[in-house]
Amino acid sequence: MDRNRLLPLVHLWASFLTFLPAIGLGVWQMLMRSPLPTPIDDPNVYYASVTAHGSIMAYVFPTLFAMGFGYAIANSSRGGVLSGRMLAWIGFYVLIAGTVMALVPVALGCSSVLYTFYPTLVGSPWYYLGVVLVILGSFFWIAVMVINMRAWKRDNPGQMVPLALFGITACALLWGWTALGAASEILFQILPVAFGWRHTIDAGLARTLFSLTLHAIVYFWLFPAYIAYYTLMPQAAGGRLYSDTMGRIAFILFLVFSLPVGLHHLFMDPEHGSGFKFVQAMLTFMVVLPTLLTIFTITASLEIAGRLRGGKGLFGWIRALPWDEPMVLAVALSLLLLGPGGFGGLINMSFAMNAMIHNTSWVTAHFHLIFGGAVVIMYFAIAYELWPRLTRRPLISKPIACRQLWLWFWGILIVTVPWHIAGLMGQPRRYAIFDYSDPSEARMAPLVIISAAGGFILFFSVLLFFFVLVRSNLAPRSEVMPPVRYSLAINPPPTVLPLLNGLGFWNLILFALLLISYGYPIGQFFFLRGQDSPGYSLTRELSR
Amino acid sequence: MIPEDPEPGIGSAWKLLVICVLSGVLVVGFGVGFILLPAFQPGQHASSVHEAIQHALGHHTHDQFPEVMPLPESIPTYVVWDEATIHQALSGDAVRGEFIAINCTACHGEKGMTEQKWIPNLAGINRIVLYKQLADFRSETRLSGPMSAIAQAISPQQAADVAAYFSMLPGILRSEGMRVPESGRSYRTRDDVKRLIFAGDAKRDLAGCATCHGPGAYRLGAPSLSGQNRDYIEQQLHNFAQGVRRNDMNMPMRTVAGVLTADEMHRLAVAFSSSTYQSQ
Repeated sequence: MDRNRLLPLVHLWASFLTFLPAIGLGVWQMLMRSPLPTPIDDPNVYYASVTAHGSIMAYVFPTLFAMGFGYAIANSSRGGVLSGRMLAWIGFYVLIAGTVMALVPVALGCSSVLYTFYPTLVGSPWYYLGVVLVILGSFFWIAVMVINMRAWKRDNPGQMVPLALFGITACALLWGWTALGAASEILFQILPVAFGWRHTIDAGLARTLFSLTLHAIVYFWLFPAYIAYYTLMPQAAGGRLYSDTMGRIAFILFLVFSLPVGLHHLFMDPEHGSGFKFVQAMLTFMVVLPTLLTIFTITASLEIAGRLRGGKGLFGWIRALPWDEPMVLAVALSLLLLGPGGFGGLINMSFAMNAMIHNTSWVTAHFHLIFGGAVVIMYFAIAYELWPRLTRRPLISKPIACRQLWLWFWGILIVTVPWHIAGLMGQPRRYAIFDYSDPSEARMAPLVIISAAGGFILFFSVLLFFFVLVRSNLAPRSEVMPPVRYSLAINPPPTVLPLLNGLGFWNLILFALLLISYGYPIGQFFFLRGQDSPGYSLTRELSR
Repeated sequence: MIPEDPEPGIGSAWKLLVICVLSGVLVVGFGVGFILLPAFQPGQHASSVHEAIQHALGHHTHDQFPEVMPLPESIPTYVVWDEATIHQALSGDAVRGEFIAINCTACHGEKGMTEQKWIPNLAGINRIVLYKQLADFRSETRLSGPMSAIAQAISPQQAADVAAYFSMLPGILRSEGMRVPESGRSYRTRDDVKRLIFAGDAKRDLAGCATCHGPGAYRLGAPSLSGQNRDYIEQQLHNFAQGVRRNDMNMPMRTVAGVLTADEMHRLAVAFSSSTYQSQ
């Protein structure tokens, strides 16, 4: 096999192979929280399971996916050439080593700190080192993406970088900035305590550093989905992209605005005053802009495709779209999930409404709807789109692929809608067990049972997904498989716009925004001293 | 090929426009967040811009905040878990501690295991736990005539030494760092003592014992209980419930013991002393 195709294929397989057990753990967690009989009903196992599920779903699965997607885009954009392949493989092995290093102590039950670490909780140092290695491995990918975008510009002077390559490079850089928060929290705050060199942690500083990661990481997960909206869907629908420029502006706005906004995850925290919370809440509303731009552009692109296919009238173009194409179907379902998910997000980022849903199941339901729903359904569709190109084998069972996407869509709704409602009823998050004999909790029981049933639907959908991929992998090779083709814009940019053709200026802007919005909130901890609390060890008493 | 933008470089009008728009957004954000909101929000009477900014940064003190804090009725403990205290509690020398521990054998047994069930076993107990209890006996925030006299006779460093010695003896079961899964540790179990230990009782706002005493997690200063003497555990639960013992920082034990019935205290003490629970 062509070595440049092997690289993304291995990443995508690894990504989905970590996804499968993580989904299984998620289903068991739903059962554990429900009144239904559950095997191994031990809260310690629940927290270990949440840690494994979250670490895989937040750090390993989307990162490997974005890496694989990135290599596929770079390779196809450069006509089958990929610079820095050696670096890419090193990054892959480092990431896999980090994943194993992180998950073994979790499985042994000595690192049940949940994937967001929650200091002053302290687990095994190997877990944290594993996460750092995962981040380090992904940094090789960032370097490879930047190298390839530069190489493309060098090879094609006077032309705009293809939108897909531009987007995935912005995604990689966003991840680089994003990961700095969690990495510095681990390296400077948690690891010294986990190793026993120190015994106290400034939980406020640790939480502030993590908030830098906590919001932007969601946009890192979303980015591949957005890239597919703009560059793969219009082509798959048989139409054209409404505007290439809109795509570039959306990607840049994501890069610039998803980082200096993380304090809205700390609205209820006492270590920050209201001033910076307000400024960052306002900047959070700016992130709505690229989402609205995207919904407009993608709907317009779908309409173009529908009308090109003969659709007439106000809504006739919708029926004319090729709904048997997994990519088209997935985009529509993804946008349907993104709608309520986005409105939920507006509630979370508004100070007063946030106070009502703070630390309730609403929040967990929200990020499952956005990531599990709107994003992961696009990961499936991207895989269906790329698989034939990477394996040189046609996608078998397209109708099953479409049914799988529908199952996922309904599964996510069945899981998350009752979960949201339970949150509004006051169900706390991060609880392993609920006493359903208590009348205040008994009224939530039917909702939790429905949610758990949705979990089984999702698991079945993933099995179908694997069935389609494996079946396609066993199909005979086809030498006439066309390469990946990205959507052409109906109105391409008339001239090379340097601001929309490079990311250097935007990184400077982002750095300035970070300094302004996070400089004081982080800096204050260096002169407001005396807030350290002792580490809270999970599995052993402090004895060193 | 399409033509290059005629004005590349940092000074281009587009870049200037971007910087101006962002600066405008920030000026509005900081203006509203740091000046307008603190000045006009009810209950925050910021009379100057400087004061408004102090409010917004969280540096203000509330108007009703008194100049001098009233002393609490009783101080549960003088031990503060800061870096220096934890370091001292962990820095004991077990060899020196063995010599000091000769004073303890009459009541706590030859090797920290005693036959007298109302006196605690000390063998294997965590050194931080013992250090804190000795500090509380010294300051008489935990009341016991003999123990206060002994604790006042030794220095904090000697307390750390003796704690190091007892912590190394075999006795009370310690966690080995891994947790073995076990069914029946939730509200689903019919064993109500096991339920109390691992799940607690939500109706009474009771957290499970395992949350602080392991194997859920180990709160600093909370001892392992497997292998501790039955009558001692039961007596301490009663003492906490009645407020006779008050040296638990932030009142976790007084709160929990206050809602346990006498029968539950007895059965918990039996369960922990027989090491049925809390193995890992």
